[in-house]
Order: sequence, then structure tokens, then C-alpha cells
Amino acid sequence: MNISDKQKKILSLLADGEFHSGTELAAELGISRSAVWKQLSGLSDFGLQHSAVSGKGYRLDNALELLAASEINEAVDDRAGALISSLEIHDQIDSTNRYLVERSQHNALSGAVCFAEHQTAGKGRRGRQWVSPYGSNIYLSILWRFQQGPAAISGLSLAIGVAVIRALKQHQIDDIGLKWPNDIYSQGKKLGGILVEVSGETGGPCSAVIGLGLNLFVPEMEAQSITQAWTDLSKITGQTRLFRNKLAGTLLNHLLPVIAEYEGVGIQAHLDEWRSYDCLTGKPATLFIGQQQFEGIVQGIDDNGMLLIERPDGSVQTFASGEVSFSGSALQ
Amino acid sequence: MDIRKIKKLIEIIEESDIAELEIKEGEESIRINRYSAAPATVAYTPAPAPAAAVAAPVAAAPAEEKITGHVVKSPMVGTFYRSASPGTKVFVEVGQSVQIGDTLCIIEAMKILNQIEADKSGTITKVLVENAEPVEYGQPLFIIE
Repeated sequence: MNISDKQKKILSLLADGEFHSGTELAAELGISRSAVWKQLSGLSDFGLQHSAVSGKGYRLDNALELLAASEINEAVDDRAGALISSLEIHDQIDSTNRYLVERSQHNALSGAVCFAEHQTAGKGRRGRQWVSPYGSNIYLSILWRFQQGPAAISGLSLAIGVAVIRALKQHQIDDIGLKWPNDIYSQGKKLGGILVEVSGETGGPCSAVIGLGLNLFVPEMEAQSITQAWTDLSKITGQTRLFRNKLAGTLLNHLLPVIAEYEGVGIQAHLDEWRSYDCLTGKPATLFIGQQQFEGIVQGIDDNGMLLIERPDGSVQTFASGEVSFSGSALQ
Repeated sequence: MDIRKIKKLIEIIEESDIAELEIKEGEESIRINRYSAAPATVAYTPAPAPAAAVAAPVAAAPAEEKITGHVVKSPMVGTFYRSASPGTKVFVEVGQSVQIGDTLCIIEAMKILNQIEADKSGTITKVLVENAEPVEYGQPLFIIE
């Protein structure tokens, strides 16, 4: 489902969360008042609810801060800025990751950055949907090319998780942690997810597309299609006005240097910090790999970033992949 | 001992000149025999089993033919996936011809989805791992001839 140009225009007028009369909107758009009403009704399909009060006009139930390249760039520091080769903001896109994976096959450079207001086919792990309502959250992908093969960047996904936590902490969001390998969690609920897709030769070079979905404000209606315990920044901070562009810039400030320097420093540089954010250690959990499942107590990660689980027989097993479910987090 | 380990052992033996191999691991033991002309046979017995009346082999796998083609091995530890997501078409089937650079599978490790590409052109003659199975570093995944 695509948002129309007229709807985009209406949204930019209503983004402030204040009342705007039907007459004003009709005049701005050069359409009739009934056409304004029709366009507004259609916005609920994107998770955007509005109220209409006679004598006052229309108002979005939640103010929006639409993404703007100029504002993001203003928040980006010199170090990260030097690593960005291009910055695109899409009103809507199927998936920011899919888009950059495709661009990576057409010689796009390291440091290509793509944001979207809305994803029509946001991707989670293994074909799962990432619920992506319009203008409310952050959907970000970054392309980076590495000299060596995929084996050399194993563990990158954990380092990315560390970078996202650093960015959130800079915005005084502290009640957060990491669930192996890199889900962003708060109070047992998922706040954000990271998906890294790598292609290239086994011996290198390879290219990686790093995707981040971070919940800022998830409208109730959209939330119904989320299949696991979730939260968003508005719930954590109690604020409905979130500075999306500033946060987008801060995320780039922390993500880009970690990505660019990863090949040189590896996971070792991030282990201590990752462990300090770990919210699984000591918890009973079940790891699912395909049809198999392994129960035990999580014992943190080894020096390669792999998950350690103490099995009921006392042995400690190491896992490179799989999905962890712990009490308080429902799987699907 | 799980079936993958046994499979791996057979592969190791087939690549070598070893005629017979016996390994004890805790209470389990496995002996694999190979006669030069005959196919390898596998005898798998729960080792010291005093209570068991029968010590007969519980599993016998027919030998795999000698691998002649190009073996694509896993460059990492992870989970092996034959398609981009559940329910979508597999990247390659046995009998399919592939070019260098074609995606053969995905190996997921620590939520990095690694597309594994063909490093040789030819025809896929074997897929050695089941979908969604864990794989080890260096484990053979496909044979291209």
C-alpha cells in the first residue's frame, strides 16, 4: 500500500499535532474539503489516526516529526559524516535492507545510508515481518564493504547492538539491554531489531547491509500485528514527542565508526561493553535451532560472541545461531 | 553420537586411506570399516551395554560413493538454510547448473545472514545438509560437478 502525494502533503501540514481547518487544508492542497476528508480517512491504513472537531478542524492524534536530510545531517558529527557516502530518505519502500542489498550489486559505495518513513515489506529474521507504520519509527540500513570474507566479520552483529545502545544512552534512555545476539530490549520487551545480510566470496571481499528497526511510537492498531512482547521509546520515556531526526543522527554517529573499524579491531574491542548490556545471563532460556531446542541457563557469551548455555546435565554448550526465548519474552 | 558426526566421519575416511576406524566417546563407540573394493559399512553400538542382550548394529548406512566433484564447504559455524525465507523457493536443487557467484544457500551465524556463493561453475550433484540444520566450519555443503 502506497501513501499518495496528497496524503504526504496533508501529513506535513498536520505533523505539528495542532488543529488545521478543512478549509485551510483544502486550500493548501487545491482540492475540495470532501476530498481532504477522504485523503485523511485513508491515512488510518498507515496507522495514523486523526480526530475531527467541528469548528476546529482536523488534528493528528500523535504529532509526527518527519525525517529530513538537513536535520539528520545537522546531528551527524564529523567522524560519522566522513564515512557517509550517500544518505537517502524514502517516503516508502518495500524494505531498506532489500534496497541496499540490490544497490550493493550495482557498485554502491561503503557508507550508503537509507532511511524510510514507511516500509511495505519490512524484514525481520527468516521471512518475518517487521511492522513498519508511517512516520513513527526508525527504519535504517547501511551498506559497508569489507576486504575480507564473511568469516572475518562474524560478531559484527553484536558490535552493532553495542553501538545502538550507546546512541540511546546518549539520549538518556537507560533502561535498555541486549538479548543475544543483538535484539534491543527494555524490561523484557523488544524495542529494536538488527538484521545483517552479507554477500560475497568466502575468501572476501564481501559486502554487508546492516538494518535496524527501532520502535519510537507504535500506534495501537499497528501493534496488533506484532507477534512478540514489544515496547517503544514513547512507552519507556513517557514522552510522545520524540526527536526522530536527532536520534537518527546519533545512531549514525555511533554505528558508522563501529562498522568502519570492525575489520581492524574485531569483536574483542566490544566484548566487555556487550557483556555489560547483556540481559540474558543467569536466566533460564530455550534456544531454538530449526526443529531442535536446547534448554538451560544462559552463561553469557564466549570471546567469539557465541552464546553459552549451561544444560541441565551441567555441561556448557556453545551456540553460533538460533533464537533464544526466555521467560517474559514470548516467541511468536 | 548424532548422525551428522557419523556422516562426517565417513567423509573423513573416504577422503583418506584409512581402512578401519574405531572411536569411543563416553559410553558410545563407533566402528567404521572400509574394504578397498566394497562399500564402507558402519556399525554403531551403544558401547558397554551389559544389560543389552543383543549387541547387533543398530544402524547401518550404505556407503556414499567416492566424492569426485568440487566440494563447497561451510566457511563458518552456523545454521544452514536452503531458501531466503521459509516457504520460498530453494536457491538450488540437485541437477541444477550454477555459475560462479550464484547463491547456493544462507548460513546464519549470530543473526548475520551470509549468502554462500558458488566458487565453481557446474551442476549441483549433491546437497549434503538438511535445511535449518546447524553446520560446522569446513563441513561439506554441496557437490558441484
